[in-house]
Amino acid sequence: MSGAHLHLLLNHIPTVAFGVAAALFLAGLVKKSEDLTQAGFVAFFLNALLAIPAYVSGNAAEFVLRDQPGMAASVITAHQNAAMLGFVFMQVTGLVGWVALWRFRRWTIPALLALSATTFALMARAANIGGGIRHPEILAGDPTVSGAWPEVAAMGTAFIVNNPWVWPICEIFHFVGLCLLFGVVLVVNLRMLGFIQGVAFADLNRLLPWAVIGLGINLITGMLFFLASPDQYTQNAAFGWKIGLIVAAGASLLYPVVSDEIRLLKQDAPVSMIARCVAAGSICLWLGVIFLGRFLPYIGSE
Amino acid sequence: MGPVLAQLEQTGFATWIRESGVLYGYPLILFLHTLGLSTLVGLSAAIDLRLLGIGQGIPLKSLERTFVLMWAGFALNAVTGSLLFVADAQKHASNPAFYVKLLCVALAVGILVMIRGRVFREHGTGKALAAASLACWLVALSSARLMAYIAEFIS
Repeated sequence: MSGAHLHLLLNHIPTVAFGVAAALFLAGLVKKSEDLTQAGFVAFFLNALLAIPAYVSGNAAEFVLRDQPGMAASVITAHQNAAMLGFVFMQVTGLVGWVALWRFRRWTIPALLALSATTFALMARAANIGGGIRHPEILAGDPTVSGAWPEVAAMGTAFIVNNPWVWPICEIFHFVGLCLLFGVVLVVNLRMLGFIQGVAFADLNRLLPWAVIGLGINLITGMLFFLASPDQYTQNAAFGWKIGLIVAAGASLLYPVVSDEIRLLKQDAPVSMIARCVAAGSICLWLGVIFLGRFLPYIGSE
Repeated sequence: MGPVLAQLEQTGFATWIRESGVLYGYPLILFLHTLGLSTLVGLSAAIDLRLLGIGQGIPLKSLERTFVLMWAGFALNAVTGSLLFVADAQKHASNPAFYVKLLCVALAVGILVMIRGRVFREHGTGKALAAASLACWLVALSSARLMAYIAEFIS
């Protein structure tokens, strides 16, 4: 299966699965059901993670289509710019969803209402333009397509390509983000594994956002690397596996904020076998991400 | 120093690291170096955050066991770092960023020892030490990353 194939599989997630997430969230608000609202928060975060492979596989599809006769490059570019704008809003929605799970604040509800509506509208536009790549008839006479303002993806590419200092600075921040993320992941998961003892999880919980901040730093810097040189990544199998592991490892950041056992864990309480397995799995997944990231230049490309 | 470094670079082992092209050579050493740094710097940064007031309820005693992992990370990086150095001894020895990195790592590890002694054992306040630790790690990471660019700029 190629990256182009994967894009066909994943490209409905940011609209269809995100619609389900928003529906869960809204149903929870209307029915005043905490469980449904929480499910909506979880779904927002998972959608944001899955949007990463959905976005980067788009460039793999573009790599294949680029040289085919009759391809309207302007429509592909318009689709990419629209998708990047929706992607940015999708990530912010996922972040606020995670924050609402971590420590519920009243502002998260109106924020998520506004963000999810905006994200959905932007993603629907991106999907519509994307459909037009193979079905030009649906875009006939649509003046909003050409250019697809604002050109977010193109601006990101220009920023890193035209400024030679941006790439090295991003590399530094990619390591800073990695250290923040991995350090906090280790502390939290080692408590769940029983290696660290004598601390209630409610206290460790305060460190967790720093793992998410680290992930955020690495998502931004990583996407800039990708925008600068998409073919180098989409044509590398190790990159595909790295993104897959990031989705799984990122999802493991939900466990300590969702599981009642962990959230309410007392100072010296033992942890269940399931939670230990999740903790061990989380550490292994992040190690896999680091491994593939480091080996990426040496494996995966022909 | 020059001839010694040149000889070091020409040893069979250094040549193998640099030129063999096998995955369990240079790439593996580089990965282990990243693993060691993310364990040492990551855990050290988490302790710094705690000392600066994030998660104040976390008893310091509960974090004592992480020092074993941090020393393991440091040992791993002393070994892998030496291997990476001998592979390109002359290039690294002529790179000012390399010395900045070594100095900052030494300072940060020294600060970590002080944090363990003064804050963990004697219950002193550790805010200044924690801030200094984060600053040292940041400069160490930055200069390490910039080594390749500065080497290119010099040559």
